[in-house]
Amino acid sequence: MNGAAVDLAAINGDRHGEVGVAHAAELLAFTDAVMRGDDSTIRGTRAALRAVLSDEAYVDVAAVIGAFNVVDRVADSIGIPLDDMMLAMSGDVRDELRLTRFASSANTPAAL
Amino acid sequence: MISCPADTAGGPPAAPKWLSSTPRQDYPLVAAMVTEHDYSAAGVPIRDDLRAAHRLIWEYIRKPGNWWTGAQRVAICAAARGADACPLCRARKAALSPNAVSGKHADTGGLPPNVIDVVHRIRTDPGRLSRAWFESVVAGGLDAPHYVELVSLVTMLSGVDFFCRSVGLAPFPLPEPLPGAPSRHLPASAKPGTAWVPMIAPEDAAGPEADMYPPAPFIPNIVRALSLIPDAVRTLWHSSDAHYLPVAEIGNPAARKAALDRMQTELVAARVSALNECFY
Repeated sequence: MNGAAVDLAAINGDRHGEVGVAHAAELLAFTDAVMRGDDSTIRGTRAALRAVLSDEAYVDVAAVIGAFNVVDRVADSIGIPLDDMMLAMSGDVRDELRLTRFASSANTPAAL
Repeated sequence: MISCPADTAGGPPAAPKWLSSTPRQDYPLVAAMVTEHDYSAAGVPIRDDLRAAHRLIWEYIRKPGNWWTGAQRVAICAAARGADACPLCRARKAALSPNAVSGKHADTGGLPPNVIDVVHRIRTDPGRLSRAWFESVVAGGLDAPHYVELVSLVTMLSGVDFFCRSVGLAPFPLPEPLPGAPSRHLPASAKPGTAWVPMIAPEDAAGPEADMYPPAPFIPNIVRALSLIPDAVRTLWHSSDAHYLPVAEIGNPAARKAALDRMQTELVAARVSALNECFY
């Protein structure tokens, strides 16, 4: 996006620590905790995140977590395929992230 | 600053005009007419646009829809929350295949078992839904329009609930349903295509649906997905503007949220999607 190198393995939980994104470790730990719903872990990771982010950025994180819990469910409940433009652009990323392991990849036959 | 209309003496405010007859720029005013949620326990200021989006979703939930009554829509949302503690759903989630586990769901709240199963599956294990499963849902009596409206309710509720969990809030109380019959409006321009249900192509969005899509150079499938229920599209994309980015800006690498930078935003988004096992 801006030429900086990012370790995509973090998206799959395969890497810990800085991945080329500011405060990635805290962002990922908090996201994982919220997604898993473990209250005590959420509290601890929230505190760690708020120690490195402004209040506004922390609320932005919560908003993005909310947003993608909507769109992921919409996409997988309606069975929409990946748009052609994104399909053409994302081959390397999809391979690196091993996205075809997800059952929902069946909705985009051209990607298989 | 949004100014709320004063309560009329002796009664609640009149029900607001709904989005289909409301200019897009007035959505915050519509949202302001719904009871404010209590964010005080979060311990941080919550942006006005997020507050407005949450009120808008609550208004969407409680009103009669195209195919479900307000009471049914609220019941669907209550059932969705019930799925979080459902032993059958937990067993299915842990199993290699959800089809390997049978049983009954937890309290159905009066909804038919086939509806409850759909609600619970979307809430707890959306990544393993399949076309074959959807076809069995339709064969079991839940047609595509009812299904899409149900999807819109479960998904948008889930987004607000995850936001609340993230900032340390208890889930907002569900709204009281509004009376009235469903409109039974089926968009004439929806066509079968590559998804499991018919969708409206942007070039076909006309008449009552003329304003449905956001102004953007490209309308991706995720925006078209709920187009059998036009107000769902409108509500979802107003909400998405506040929670993520406006559709027109998503493809702009320089676009970013107010405080979180774009790379941080996309890292969180991608991690959520990976955990939801969402290929899209």
